[in-house]
Amino acid sequence: MTDWKKMASALDPGIPDADAEKVVPVLNALEAVWRPLQASIPAGTDLWTGPEDIA
Amino acid sequence: MTILEAAAALRAKKVSSVELVDESLKKIAAANPRLNAFITVTEESARTRARAADAELAKGVDHGLLHGVPIAHKDLVMTRGVRTTAGSKIFSDFVPDQDAVVAAKLNDAGAVMVGKTGLHELAYGITSTNPHFGAVRNPWDTDRIPGGSSGGSGSAVAADLVAMATGSDTGGSIRIPSSFCGTVGLKPTYERVSRRGVIPLGMTLDHIGPMTRTVRDAAVAFNAMAETPGGFVPQENADIRGMRIGLPQNYYFDKLDLEVAGAVRTAVQTAAALGARIVDVRVPDIDAINVVGRIVLLVEAVSNLGPYLGRRGDFGADVLTLLDQGRLISGRDYADAQRLRRVQIREFSKLWSDVDCIFTPCTPTPAPKIGETTIQVGSTTEDVRLTSTRLMRAINVLGIPSLAMPCGFTQSGLPIGLQILGAPRREDTLLTIGAALEDALGLGGRRPAGF
Repeated sequence: MTDWKKMASALDPGIPDADAEKVVPVLNALEAVWRPLQASIPAGTDLWTGPEDIA
Repeated sequence: MTILEAAAALRAKKVSSVELVDESLKKIAAANPRLNAFITVTEESARTRARAADAELAKGVDHGLLHGVPIAHKDLVMTRGVRTTAGSKIFSDFVPDQDAVVAAKLNDAGAVMVGKTGLHELAYGITSTNPHFGAVRNPWDTDRIPGGSSGGSGSAVAADLVAMATGSDTGGSIRIPSSFCGTVGLKPTYERVSRRGVIPLGMTLDHIGPMTRTVRDAAVAFNAMAETPGGFVPQENADIRGMRIGLPQNYYFDKLDLEVAGAVRTAVQTAAALGARIVDVRVPDIDAINVVGRIVLLVEAVSNLGPYLGRRGDFGADVLTLLDQGRLISGRDYADAQRLRRVQIREFSKLWSDVDCIFTPCTPTPAPKIGETTIQVGSTTEDVRLTSTRLMRAINVLGIPSLAMPCGFTQSGLPIGLQILGAPRREDTLLTIGAALEDALGLGGRRPAGF
């Protein structure tokens, strides 16, 4: 899992520790569902680039 | 008065634009202390414009059905010379020197702006309980939220303070207040209404659309707002015989308040009785699309608000924590979310070969109380924000049109919303079936007691 607090402390302007603490559980939960989806992206898939991509 | 009623009365010379505007301003003055629907009221400029609208009509110059009709703009639509706050402390003194494209288009259509409506701070939330401008209230029960982020527009239209107001929708912000306030809200296909001059939240998710009390009014307003208007307004007795309505067999009916489920099922049966064909469909993984939507929005919001991130004390607590989340998501994750989005759009679009539209509930529950952060849905307790956006957010990722409209009321008198999804650029299909249903259900234009 990503060390969100370490990342937060490296930002400029920084995120205070108490506020970083609040986002850790939310981002952990998001990461847990996101990583398998990310791994499922077919190779060679291009970025969505705008309304012309809406079928 | 609806747009179409006002338009007819103006042309029959039963009323003038000045009288319509005076009536609207009088109602706002009486109701705003209770609803807090407006941040700014543009009394003087509205009266000036109304006089000009009357003079034009007298000379035979007619800009169309919105000519001389009082409307309002969500307070993130830039209006030349009129403060545009986005409901934030950061923009609290911002006076644009030009109109947003959509404001200019509505001006050209002859509409008369009477004010700017309240919203969730920076449009980044669904309660419209704003730390800088106070809580907007729902006219059906002023202890409840109107939804958001276009809560002021929903509240103002529901209370008949104006016939129409603009809204923006990044993850449900037109449709959630429409559901909670019993109004009609059209989130068009992505970029069918220009976003230029509307303070952005998530550039690839933001949609601009009308909020009205009837489906036909939404069609009139959409025609005036759209980049490529179709000029389409559903006829009386709109014919939906043979129309194929998709009814999801997965996801959308899984976790709902029982009264919401019942009202949506009644709408489905009503459409079937009007001759539509109900087709069972299975939708792709909506939770996965919602995850993509969350990642994209978290990052795009940070990108938009980048210059202000050092002013932590100027943001409300809920917005600040979302911005903090967005700052920690990597560029690779954002790009991959946009790649997966392309796959998801392609997958979802296959449904349009089997159906013309899809019926879903709008929000899983009626309007929560102000200050509630959790809500009971059946036997589970859920987060208000995540619950209210659960059936909404994916539609912004897909960029397809969606019509929110009332389909019933709870026993305690709160509105229940139906969402009708359509293929890209098929707003006409949604408006046709919406108008037929509105006529059959007899709910269009119903007003809360005391307003």
